[in-house]
Amino acid sequence: MIQFEHLTYTYPGARLPALNDISLDLPEGQLILLIGPSGAGKSTLLRCLNGLVPHFSGGALLGNVRVKGLDPVAATPRILSRHVGFVFQDPEAQFVTDRVEDEIAFALENAAMPPQEMRVRVEETLDLLDLTPLRDRTLRQLSGGERQRVAIAAALALRPSILVLDEPTSQLDPKSAEDVLNALVRLNNDLGLTVILAEHRLERVLPFVDSVIYLPDASAGNGGAVLFDDPRAVMQHIDLTPPLVSVGKALGWQPLPLTIKEGLRYSRPWLAEHRRMADESPRHRRLIARGGQPYVQAHGVQVRYGRQEVLRGVDLALWPGEIVVMMGRNGAGKTTLLRSLVGLLRPQAGSIRVNGQDIAGREVADICQQVGYLPQDPNTLLFAESVREELLVTLRNHGMEIGDWRLGDSEIGGREGKTSRQGDKERGRQGEGERGERETISSLQSPNLQSPNLPISQSFVTSLLSRLGLLDKADAYPRDLSVGERQRVALASITVTRPGALLLDEPTRGLDYAAKRALERLLHEWRDDGMAILVVTHDVELAAAIADRVVLMSQGEVIAEGAPAEVMATSPLFAPQIARLFPETGWLTAEDVIKAKSKANSGGK
Amino acid sequence: MENQLNARDAAIASETEFFEKTQFPEQRALHSLAWATWIAAIVVILTLTRNPFYLALVIGAVAGVRWRCARVALENNGQQAMLLSPLRFGLLVVTTAALFNMAMVHVGTTVLFVLPAWIPLLGGAWTLEALVYGALNGVALAGLFAGFTVINRVVPVRSLLRLTPRAYYPVAVVISIAVTFVPTTLQQIQQIREAQAVRGHRLRGVRSWLPLVVPLLEGSMERSLQLAEAMVARGFASGADAQPRWPQMLVLAGFASIVAGWLMQLIWRQPTWGGVLLAAGGAALLVGLWRAGRGHPHTVYRPERWRGWDWVVVGGAVLAASVFLLPLFARSTIFYYPYPTLDWPDFDWRIGLAALGLIAPALG
Repeated sequence: MIQFEHLTYTYPGARLPALNDISLDLPEGQLILLIGPSGAGKSTLLRCLNGLVPHFSGGALLGNVRVKGLDPVAATPRILSRHVGFVFQDPEAQFVTDRVEDEIAFALENAAMPPQEMRVRVEETLDLLDLTPLRDRTLRQLSGGERQRVAIAAALALRPSILVLDEPTSQLDPKSAEDVLNALVRLNNDLGLTVILAEHRLERVLPFVDSVIYLPDASAGNGGAVLFDDPRAVMQHIDLTPPLVSVGKALGWQPLPLTIKEGLRYSRPWLAEHRRMADESPRHRRLIARGGQPYVQAHGVQVRYGRQEVLRGVDLALWPGEIVVMMGRNGAGKTTLLRSLVGLLRPQAGSIRVNGQDIAGREVADICQQVGYLPQDPNTLLFAESVREELLVTLRNHGMEIGDWRLGDSEIGGREGKTSRQGDKERGRQGEGERGERETISSLQSPNLQSPNLPISQSFVTSLLSRLGLLDKADAYPRDLSVGERQRVALASITVTRPGALLLDEPTRGLDYAAKRALERLLHEWRDDGMAILVVTHDVELAAAIADRVVLMSQGEVIAEGAPAEVMATSPLFAPQIARLFPETGWLTAEDVIKAKSKANSGGK
Repeated sequence: MENQLNARDAAIASETEFFEKTQFPEQRALHSLAWATWIAAIVVILTLTRNPFYLALVIGAVAGVRWRCARVALENNGQQAMLLSPLRFGLLVVTTAALFNMAMVHVGTTVLFVLPAWIPLLGGAWTLEALVYGALNGVALAGLFAGFTVINRVVPVRSLLRLTPRAYYPVAVVISIAVTFVPTTLQQIQQIREAQAVRGHRLRGVRSWLPLVVPLLEGSMERSLQLAEAMVARGFASGADAQPRWPQMLVLAGFASIVAGWLMQLIWRQPTWGGVLLAAGGAALLVGLWRAGRGHPHTVYRPERWRGWDWVVVGGAVLAASVFLLPLFARSTIFYYPYPTLDWPDFDWRIGLAALGLIAPALG
């Protein structure tokens, strides 16, 4: 029904094609998953289906595309809109009106459908996605998942036979994401709608999909061919897979399990056979070392918005050299707590100390020199012309000029003289005059923190960039980079001051597996350098991979705290796949299992 | 500094909240065209008259309608009523206008007190007449404000836009998008401000706003592009088909002709020629709009129904406006002027009765 024949597409002004010689033949009525690393051209391929590429984007398209016998290039997106419904990443950016019903009716009004027929059509579409109770609401009153369902409904109003979704859940929390994915599965099952979905959260969709398209990175040369096959077959061929699949591949389970239910069929006998090994493996990983003074300490923090109590006396301490992961439902007060810790919100009661000093009455800018904070949308942080400039701006803001730094300066000439850092903000205000003065930090005295005690030098900035994998992007325009790279630039721009603590709010939103891995590695390195890190996330697999300690929040209170194996393994909501697969072993990630196995093997010999 | 920040946060939050709360009951009793007539009549009357009796009647009618709408909203979806807010605003406007007028206009015979003449502007006699006239201006202004709060509450922007001619439908869509963009943009400004504070940015001076502007512009740009893409994907016809240009030309010519005819009547005192030009221009306008509208086929989801009571509302509004516009009864009574000596205004009961036609929306 959908055919690509030797499709090659190049964006205007680009040297390399975004899509390189792609040939696919997609059958009707399937739920098809499109995966691949960021930058592989997933969005571009999807946009070819309804003619947005090349009609909206320009550029050069070679080869052939056929959608239900139509050529999207010759026919316009307007014609295709009757056959292909399209849903975008960000639910907010695709709404034209402000009410649910009006939004669904918009496409029909434009198609000049007679009012009587339109009435019926809107009614049916509302039912299809369970939106009837919400029909009169304004869109701003809806949750992210509800909004994305409205977007799907709006795309289906013209009754297309193909629904295309470009990472529809990347901006949503897991519960909302599940709502949306369930709706898609139902549409595919009940109506036989062809659904083509680009998605990073493989573990959620894999059990439901009929086939998978794997798109390798086009710019990486011939790093791999385009795959289109049964999900199990594709999973065999790619490296970055959900933990369940990784373990299945490592232990040689055939056919590969895609659901926990299937996995348990293999893991139960396997575990019985390897009982001793499981018992010997460390049960509570990463014991928490609590020596000395916590770097960030919150005590009895209370925050109210109007009458609503958001935080009811939260106690939390962050020690240098640990990663604490905070989880909890939406609205549990996690983000509010983070904002309080850096002074963006002033709690009505309780105290917050950073490095032993109370933050009450200090400016946000001042606190953030010691506590880096990465908000949910890293794009709001970025504005400069280049990555390098972003870092320099932060330093300038804090009065920590390092001169006109160019990449390689420190390696070449070593004229690393202009380092200054003002501890107090009065001197920071005087600004320019004090450039070149060298000073050590007196306000950040903390014996077990090595990095914050050093002045910021050009070589430090260079090494920060190389650690973040941004060295060759130093002169790139930040907003042109991929999601993962942009996030790392944002991270660089807040950690260039060498804060002793780092707070991250939902850092894995929209990241693919590779970018997630890079983030995990980075956080581990920073932790080992003695940074205190607090991560708020819904992503249980990330939590399992990085947490030294887990804190669960609900209704503005900390309800559980402890080692990840204790807190997460038993929770029905927050247990990672491996904990479900191997209960009572204390294993949380695929690495745990593989490590335990290789240890047992070498011990056995 | 922090308190300031929090105060601003609260302001932005309350603004966002305002947009969020603006929700419309499903069953709107009245057609938005009827509401449009009603508010037009109020604007006409309140700009014309300064007679306190007529002002009081009109504002009484507005208050009645407002009270009724609040009741309906409360019954429909348990929303808290909104009765008080224009009162506070009105009080502020009336006192300011009265004081300002009294301070600036030193005319009138009933002198309350005299400030020494060497004080610039304020010096001179402060009179009761100036006080009264200023207060009446303030009352009229507050009445207008109250009327518009009702409209804002009762008529969604979208249904007002549906009243625009079909030829301008794309323009109407753009405006409606702009309206829905406002709260999003407010939220974004807040987010960006925080993100920059996190990077050690301190707001001092105009130049320090640059880091806020760039992400905002870029963000809005990205959102607009994405919205445009989404609209194309949903079949929005923006210049998709080639349209004949002449209907648009006709509309333009019609406008020009109307302006010319009006000028002819007003300046060159040529009532007949002016009349002809006005009529021709009007006809060209209508034909042009109709023809251009045919090029933009679209239908309206759940069009509003025109009910019997809409006629009553329109009738009441037209009646009220016409007694103030046409020389029917004792029209001179509407131009009340307290100078030079304060006097009781005249009152024509027929005009007063007609003004009460504005209360129709509250009775339906």
